[in-house]
Amino acid sequence: MKYMLLIYSPENAWIPEEWKQCVETSMQICEEMAAKGQLLSAAPLHPVATATTVRVRDGKQYITAGPFAETTEQLGGYYLIDVENLDEAIAIASRLPPALKGTVEIRPLLKLDGLPAEKHKTESTNTENSLKKFMFLCYDDEEAWRKAGEQAHHAAMQEAVALTKRLDGLGQYVSASPLHPVATATSIRVRNGQRIVTDGPFAETSEVMGGYYLIMAKDTSEAVEIAAEHSGARVGAVEVREVFDLTPLAVRGSPAPA
Amino acid sequence: MPVPIDSMNRQIVDKVYRLESRRVFATLVRLLRDFDLAEEAMHEAFALAVTQWAESGVPENPRAWLVSTGRFKAIDALRRRGRIDELAPEIVRRFEEVASSNVERASHDIEDDQLRLIFTCCHPAIDPMVQVPLTLREVCGLSTDEVARAFLTAPATMAQRIVRGKAKIRDAGIPFVIPTAADFPQRLESVLAVIYLVFNEGYSASSGTVATRADLSEEAIRLGRLLLELLHDPEVMGLLALMLLQESRRNARATVDGDIILLEDQDRNLWNKSLIKEGLLLVERSMSTRRFGAYSVQATIAAVHATAPSADKTDWPQIVTLYDALQSINSSPVVELNRAVAVAMRDGPDAGLVLIDSILGRGDLVDYHLSHAARGELCRRAGRVAEAREAFIQAISLARQEPERRFLTRRLSEL
Repeated sequence: MKYMLLIYSPENAWIPEEWKQCVETSMQICEEMAAKGQLLSAAPLHPVATATTVRVRDGKQYITAGPFAETTEQLGGYYLIDVENLDEAIAIASRLPPALKGTVEIRPLLKLDGLPAEKHKTESTNTENSLKKFMFLCYDDEEAWRKAGEQAHHAAMQEAVALTKRLDGLGQYVSASPLHPVATATSIRVRNGQRIVTDGPFAETSEVMGGYYLIMAKDTSEAVEIAAEHSGARVGAVEVREVFDLTPLAVRGSPAPA
Repeated sequence: MPVPIDSMNRQIVDKVYRLESRRVFATLVRLLRDFDLAEEAMHEAFALAVTQWAESGVPENPRAWLVSTGRFKAIDALRRRGRIDELAPEIVRRFEEVASSNVERASHDIEDDQLRLIFTCCHPAIDPMVQVPLTLREVCGLSTDEVARAFLTAPATMAQRIVRGKAKIRDAGIPFVIPTAADFPQRLESVLAVIYLVFNEGYSASSGTVATRADLSEEAIRLGRLLLELLHDPEVMGLLALMLLQESRRNARATVDGDIILLEDQDRNLWNKSLIKEGLLLVERSMSTRRFGAYSVQATIAAVHATAPSADKTDWPQIVTLYDALQSINSSPVVELNRAVAVAMRDGPDAGLVLIDSILGRGDLVDYHLSHAARGELCRRAGRVAEAREAFIQAISLARQEPERRFLTRRLSEL
């Protein structure tokens, strides 16, 4: 099963030395997972201050600086993993250093037919043509979709598939997937050496993360233009975050904390 | 006149149903990874048993027959739904896996299936509000209506919780396994917590007009026995002993009108001797392992009470020592409160009051009716009537259960 691990922690809680340690440990866990064929992709996100949020209403784009929701802990990174079951995902999540200070939310991916093959493995080559990697965090109201009906939801999914195919044709597609409803979320924290597993997402909000895209774009404004094309932007909101490319990170050492 | 064959067969099937249906169900859940499909297949297998066993006799191993018949019924059901191509390869693979492992291993697996089911329903990634009804529904086989009635909840609400639990297991990929050694202690803890929660809801309902709901306590004890059968763990023994020893006092705990009688005022002749005997034996077994934990210590405290001829002749110093042990394993304000009451019994009410006041003074248990009730009681004994009155009034305003409010009101009026 494929899972997305969303890493939430207070950005200002890390001193540079801790941050370096966190990155090193995380890289080591990534290498272990990669060796077992469990790692699809993982990266820290640029600080939340660089986030842009897009909504489309009546054909008009509403772009705001900042994240979708202001929270005390911010989404600072993600892992996409392929493991046997939730217990394996929990075991990995509780080893990640941010679980000590923040929360790791585990979300199972929802299988959607028709998506192009993922391009995780080739991502580093894109730096040559100076494209940057962005993640779209798609937030919407699950209740609104239930009310809109199966057909409307299906149409929106097909529209999303079409967008990924178009991006794939342009060489800008990396990966995308809807997530199972937020009721399937599990949150992991580690405090005083004890693992705390709870049902539910990191934060209870009326609009919840329902899917993601990883795409390549030359800058934030191009990424925002693409995000506005996502069908969910007309119903909910899309938060656009630049993603650190991990390949040079391993060579260069850690980036400075926010 | 001989009993007609089909009526006799019906009785046999009913008996097998009582003994085996939840085990058959647990195995079908493992094979099918689908609670609803497994439930449906299990019922169809039993329905077929009624006619088939009448014709060709009861099979040598009824459980194996039922599992195998249930499997075929499930495949039929998938075929009817047109989902056979999508799901069959995976299910057939699991069926073959079971068939290819040797017989001994297969029957061992089947024994373990109920344990797997318990661990799955009590998985910490499932909301605790959902773990309890899910366990009662899927492991114990209570109907949704029965679970709803036991918890004084609308059946629709309970049904929704159970559906939510099953969806979480399916979509989040909660595995149907006995946890690995590393996870085992923590996972067992949440299983034991669910069982004890069920027991307590039956022993001292958190709200409502009657103080106890015996059916839930019985169900919890049944679960405890099942778990012990599957798992020889000292804490499982401890929890079962604790439940049995508490349950032994059920008939002495309240008047016919449902008014609460405190432990010290209970007629000890009404205590159930056979439950006490079983409980004491389990306490001994658990303590002798030297790997016991919080449940075993609590059971030992209950055992000291169970063997005391009266409240006065209770070994209070030993109870205080046991609370000290409990505090070191599992420190909590509620344990501290209980210890304070035991200290009061050993050293007099003033010694207990000092401890209770320090708990309340740092802001713990201020909204817990029993801390004020205990304070009221100790103030009464110490002759501090005005303080006792204040504490009982506070306790009454916090108590949610009718018999407890009646008891506290009576205590207040007796001052």
